[in-house]
Amino acid sequence: MAEANQLFKEFKVQSVSEFFRRNAAMLGYTGKVRSLTTVIHEAVTNSLDACEEAGIPPYIRVELEELGKEHYRVIVEDNGPGIPEKYINHVFGKMLAGTKAHRNIQSRGQQGIGISGAVMFAQVTSGKATRVITSTGGDILEAWVKIDVDKNEGKVVKKERHPNPRGWRGTRIELEVKNVRYILSKQGVYWYLKLTAIANPHAHIELIEPDGRLIVFPRSSDEVPEPPVEMKPHPKGVLTDDVYRMARKSRRTTVKRFLIGEFSRTSEGKVKELIEYIAALRLIKTETDKNVQEQLYERLMNGEVKEVLRSFRGYTKVVKQVARLMEKPPEKLTWHEAEEIVEAFKYMKFLAPPTHGLRPIGEENIEKGLKGILKPEFVTAVTRPPKVYSGGIPFQVEVGIAYGGEIENGFELLRYANRVPLLFDAGSCVTTLASRSVDWKRYRVQDPEHTPLVLLINVVSVHVPYTGTGKQSIASVEEIQNEIRLAIMDAARRLKTYISGKHRTLHQVRRRKTFEKYVPEIARALSILTGEDEGVIADYFLKFIENRFKARETRKAEVSESA
Amino acid sequence: MPKSVKREKPKEKFSYDPTKVLSRLEEHGKRILEEVKNGKNPYFDIPMRGRGNVYFDDKRRVIMMGDKLSRRYFLNVAHARKFMQTLLMMAYVKRLVKERKHASLREAYYANKHTIPGTRKNTFEDQRESDPIIEDLERMLGVLREEMHLTADRRGYIYGDVTIRDGEDEFNTSRLGMGGWAVPGTVEHLQFVEVNVDYALVVETAAMADRLIEEKFPRRENALIVATQGQASRGVRRLIHRLHYEEGLPIIVFTDGDPYGWYIYSTIKQGSINLAYLSDKLTTPEAKFVGMTMDDIKRYGLENVTEKLKGIPPNKKGGPTGDYKRILEEMEYPWFQRKEWQRQLKMAIKMGVRIEQQALANKSLEFVAREYLPEKINNGELLP
Repeated sequence: MAEANQLFKEFKVQSVSEFFRRNAAMLGYTGKVRSLTTVIHEAVTNSLDACEEAGIPPYIRVELEELGKEHYRVIVEDNGPGIPEKYINHVFGKMLAGTKAHRNIQSRGQQGIGISGAVMFAQVTSGKATRVITSTGGDILEAWVKIDVDKNEGKVVKKERHPNPRGWRGTRIELEVKNVRYILSKQGVYWYLKLTAIANPHAHIELIEPDGRLIVFPRSSDEVPEPPVEMKPHPKGVLTDDVYRMARKSRRTTVKRFLIGEFSRTSEGKVKELIEYIAALRLIKTETDKNVQEQLYERLMNGEVKEVLRSFRGYTKVVKQVARLMEKPPEKLTWHEAEEIVEAFKYMKFLAPPTHGLRPIGEENIEKGLKGILKPEFVTAVTRPPKVYSGGIPFQVEVGIAYGGEIENGFELLRYANRVPLLFDAGSCVTTLASRSVDWKRYRVQDPEHTPLVLLINVVSVHVPYTGTGKQSIASVEEIQNEIRLAIMDAARRLKTYISGKHRTLHQVRRRKTFEKYVPEIARALSILTGEDEGVIADYFLKFIENRFKARETRKAEVSESA
Repeated sequence: MPKSVKREKPKEKFSYDPTKVLSRLEEHGKRILEEVKNGKNPYFDIPMRGRGNVYFDDKRRVIMMGDKLSRRYFLNVAHARKFMQTLLMMAYVKRLVKERKHASLREAYYANKHTIPGTRKNTFEDQRESDPIIEDLERMLGVLREEMHLTADRRGYIYGDVTIRDGEDEFNTSRLGMGGWAVPGTVEHLQFVEVNVDYALVVETAAMADRLIEEKFPRRENALIVATQGQASRGVRRLIHRLHYEEGLPIIVFTDGDPYGWYIYSTIKQGSINLAYLSDKLTTPEAKFVGMTMDDIKRYGLENVTEKLKGIPPNKKGGPTGDYKRILEEMEYPWFQRKEWQRQLKMAIKMGVRIEQQALANKSLEFVAREYLPEKINNGELLP
């Protein structure tokens, strides 16, 4: 048997960077096509976020240069605010560093490892540093960034300064990557950018393909969306660990202040209630009879906290104990106490979490995006009001439908999470499940496989429940699936109205012709019967038909406006 | 011996009047034109056909048409074509009547069939489209197809001392040879100059009618033979009606003793569902039935010349079908709700047989003309 000491000879502390270098798949670097898409995704996402935070309509240019077999230079340039010099090595070099990771905020990325992951990917495949050219308005800075894998640190290996006579502002990064492939598949760069353009109609996106072809996805909306705002977590959506750590970091003076100040929907009154619930829970745990215990839990769930308390002798003492706990400094909160708080939260009732931090694309912008990029003949969008899943995590669902026009035959599902296109793992995604659960025939889509139909689904949340680290598939949470379904049906109803209307118009024309073709026959017969002139009779009939159809059309328009 | 059948006083007068048809056609034409001028959707009100709009009038004892109307609009996708066809046919009828010409249903169809300019559609695609339009016109205008100078194929003939004026010709139907006079499709314009018979005997089969003529039954009994040759055509039914109401002739019907024969009788007497709207003009509820009856079989010893009813009797598995089913249906008819008829029909089912008119030839060729009919008719042994 080997000695423990011997075994631990090989034991080594692995840096975060090292971990991700070995587990690139978790960041989306799997497969030659997907890896390239991921690199571009990280760069473009950063650009979009930066522009939005600065309130600038994004202008993003992606360029691909083929340097050899499966060897490309990827250039992404934006007109964003630029990166201050001292942050360059952090932005590009350090994993798990960013402006959002530690906040309860809706964001395109989540862990803040995006672009540094791309830099690392470039570095490990081509050995080359990433070239960053940026300006915040002053001089232009050109820097070559590498990652010190062992230390998890960015390193600017070379830096140059250039004058900026034209006042250019923005960021351009150039990465050299190998083991990737550019193809025009549904998982490729072209498709990814197209989907991004649809969900971000305020962005102008250009792509120069390796063969030099320029593809432009023009801006179709002038309105730059407001950047998302931070939201305090909702009591129902937190884990013990969250409470424990938040308490550690909090600058509030007491646990009570901490709870009121750093959680949403938590007030003075709610803390009083919380004290009673914690006390009740403590007392219930002292009960030895399992059946009685069960009953008490149930009554607590029904909100009968006072009655539960009163059923124990000397309960005021326990309540006072718990009340004292609320007065101590939050950093003194123990793990056990945090656990008690979270458990009590589960039994309590809270208002639904605030949703002001959610930033949906919006019905109007979805329509603009779909219309601008896909050139359909009909488009509609539905943004549902925010809802909550697993008790306290707000989310919102949006759906867009584009039909006909330049869209090719066949059903296409465009999936998004927080506006980010999801290209992989469609099969297991809640969006796919929801769209399949809809009976399209009911909406006059007889054969979806041969109908020019595009369905866009965007799930917005501060915490999108992805199924894996690849972040390409949303877990089938029941609340989310229901919302998606409702949104699809809502939008599909409008599609149905449109399709029926189209049929109706065609039908009307055909109907009118039916009547008109009989007029000469009728006129001749009536002329024989009455002795009046055939031509005059025909005119009466044609005029009559015309008036009737005109009346019908105006009547219909009025109805649809009021509806 | 007093005769049980007597001529009565006439109840109706010869009423053929082509101007009535013309003025009704014009009325409708003008109405339609007015409606269109005023921006109204022009329409025709056409009494509905079919079982749902038919009832048995107990008082008059005929099948009558109800008052359900179907409105046929011009500006209605489902109606437009028929609306056009109705007008086309109306115009055609106007020309026919005005020019005193007659056309068969088939001629009317061909005359009006043409391609609608600018389309690949015809005004009428086949005769199944034009025939119902003509029926619609009959019901809508309240005139007979014959009055519109549209005729069906002729069937049936008469023989007897009756003088008829048909246009410029005048003739006696007992002086046209053994074949008698073939009843034309339309009998409206015929006038009865002289009617020297006591009653009309309506005979189902031509063979029996021929037999009676050969045996000089019409002369001997002073009767008019009307051969229907199966189900009576409209011309024959109309002729019977006119002879009864305009000339007061009693009508006696002589058919096979089977469900079909009884149905022929029922049609002459009470009318049919199809032509219920014409019952006023086609039916003769006072008609009576002489035979064949089930009683005749025993009475005249015809047991050997009966035939089995077709189908499965009601008490057997799978029954009733065929003849049995029809008999049971007839038993339900309001006009067969008389004990005499119920008895006959029940007997037929019980015996499971039918008997043809020609079976009487089993006795002798003369038997029917010399014994069977004179006996029954003169003794008044008739069924209501």
